[in-house]
Amino acid sequence: MHGVLRLKAKLDGEVIKELEPVIGYLHRNAEKLCEMGFYCDNLIYFDRMDYVGAMNMEVGYLEAAEKILGVPPPERAKWIRVIMAELSRLAAHLVWAGAYGLDLGMLTPFFYCFGEREKILTIFTEACGSRQETNYMSIGGVYQDFNEKIIEEIKDFLKTFPKRMEIIYNIYVKNDVFLSRTKGIGVLSRDLAIAYGVTGPMLRASGVEYDVRKAEPYLVYDKVNFDIPISHKGDNLARFLVRFEEMRQSLKIIKQALDKLPEGPYFNPKAKKSMMIRMRGDGEYYARTESSKGEFGVYIVGDGGVKPYRVRVRSPTFKNLSILPVLSKDVMLADMIAISGSIDLVFGEIDR
Amino acid sequence: MSILQWIYSVLSFLGHDVGYALAYIIESIILLIFVSISLIVMVYLFRKYMARVQQRIGPNRVGKFGLLQLIADALKLAGKEVIFPKERDDLPYKVAPFVVFFGLVLAFAFLPYGNLSIFGDLTITYSDVSIIFIFAILSIMPIGEVLAGIGSHNKYALMGALRSVAKDVSFEVPMMISVLAIVMMASARTATSLNLESIVTTEILPYGILEPIGLFVFFIAMIARASYAPFDMGESDSELVSGYSTEYTGLRFGLFYMGLFGTIFLGSLLVSLLYLGGFNGPISSQVGFIWLLVKGIVLVLISFTVWLSMPRIRIDKLVNVGWKYLLPISFINLVLAGVLTLGLGW
Repeated sequence: MHGVLRLKAKLDGEVIKELEPVIGYLHRNAEKLCEMGFYCDNLIYFDRMDYVGAMNMEVGYLEAAEKILGVPPPERAKWIRVIMAELSRLAAHLVWAGAYGLDLGMLTPFFYCFGEREKILTIFTEACGSRQETNYMSIGGVYQDFNEKIIEEIKDFLKTFPKRMEIIYNIYVKNDVFLSRTKGIGVLSRDLAIAYGVTGPMLRASGVEYDVRKAEPYLVYDKVNFDIPISHKGDNLARFLVRFEEMRQSLKIIKQALDKLPEGPYFNPKAKKSMMIRMRGDGEYYARTESSKGEFGVYIVGDGGVKPYRVRVRSPTFKNLSILPVLSKDVMLADMIAISGSIDLVFGEIDR
Repeated sequence: MSILQWIYSVLSFLGHDVGYALAYIIESIILLIFVSISLIVMVYLFRKYMARVQQRIGPNRVGKFGLLQLIADALKLAGKEVIFPKERDDLPYKVAPFVVFFGLVLAFAFLPYGNLSIFGDLTITYSDVSIIFIFAILSIMPIGEVLAGIGSHNKYALMGALRSVAKDVSFEVPMMISVLAIVMMASARTATSLNLESIVTTEILPYGILEPIGLFVFFIAMIARASYAPFDMGESDSELVSGYSTEYTGLRFGLFYMGLFGTIFLGSLLVSLLYLGGFNGPISSQVGFIWLLVKGIVLVLISFTVWLSMPRIRIDKLVNVGWKYLLPISFINLVLAGVLTLGLGW
């Protein structure tokens, strides 16, 4: 779990009778701030939403903003974005995997996960000079082209990471105590998940085969080959397994994208730096992308000016959190923690 | 000759009464120093070992290899502002950490430590019922935790204390029954079978070989006793902030922390004494103490490995482990011990 969540719980001994999440402690007014910045400036607010996997947020915003401004990115930039978004998904899932151990009282895997995440952040640093709030992509392309060194680093990472991931995976799933804390706990049925608008790994763990990357491919996700991992159990363990399987699929996507990475410009010449603040957007556009937490939607209304009229974000974690009071009714206190950990909460995105 | 006798022989010019009184005081100070030093070493060992397990470096800034880190930490803890919660129940709140810590130190006084070359026998106190005394002292520690939970006037502290007590009670019984099996077997060979030292000195084989089930039960119960993962119910940091020690700051918090590590060390020494032959080993008349320490430290490292690789078990399942699994197993062990003693005459 990440960020500041307050849970008001009514207890009967150790059993939770009523639960009310209180959010808003990390509210930074990002949506309103977006109305005051130029289209190119607003990217930084999106970096700070899901800060553990910032690239996915950038993709989400640019999908909408570029459509409104009419500056599509060139082919190479699309592939670079896919690579970065998937690396970012890995980084986000690693944070979750480590923090989930902490939620259950397990210290060691946290450091393993963050050690691996550090390698991804090094790649980000190489690409754009920043670790977490990357601000790497920009309207009409990316900020810098991939050089040989980055590609080498990613290839190295792809070589070492699968083995390390299996170690982390085995630390968890070969531990009986871990299984006893996750198996059959917090079961989310298929119907309930759909009714509450739950998306992402949580939805897929409840047996719905829905992934925006497949359902409505953006960037070049229709040109890469990957599977949607699903599980029909719907419990904590299913969510855990689905996320790990997603990491394996992400590796597959990165590998393919590196092979298929075309030559060419990485930037749309229509979106030169001098043009940036003069770009005018008109109309409405809603873009949805698959972030590491679920379906991330960005709705932008432009009124023909240089700044958006309204920006609205559909936060996947906010919808996923709404299921917590339902799932944690009549469960034990410790199980509630295990369930809330398995939702993968990031408060930068919920509160915005 | 014990340390007490040795100190008294130095102080004998003061006469019998004053000499013994002073000797007892000095002896207690020596005990306190021994426990404190061993705890500091334990914490250092833990941090280095934890770093190794987690592929980090660990403390390496203060002093060579970070050896002075713990002293720096202790000074920092002592220098912290002491904050008392406003609504506390004063006496229980203030007394609780001392109950936990000094209960622990007292238990160390009754362990047999064996010989160390020129110093002779290092055992501090002799008693024919030392086992009873040690486990009686050990059952004082949960009282300290309850006092902390009640005195803090805090919901997290109270729940931590309740969990901690539920855990302690459910593991105390299997632990005592597996000790009973040993006492029973020892009673065939020694008249003072409640004396830990005579149990160890009269054994033919380490009891861990004769009673592997007992070793298993006792070790798990000891882990639960020391309350670290998977049994860290007392502080369950992800849901209860820090359990019964939530409201404590400064030295009092340090005492709880020391109590945790002290229990691990005490537990390891007890396991090695009861089940692994304690200070017995080659040339034990000279270096028995070293044997005890080596066995103790190996057990401590095993405990740390368990600690670092386990998530927390849920409280109801934990109580189940104690009552539904360990208790019947420990009874089976008791019966087996009876068969070994009476039937085979071991």
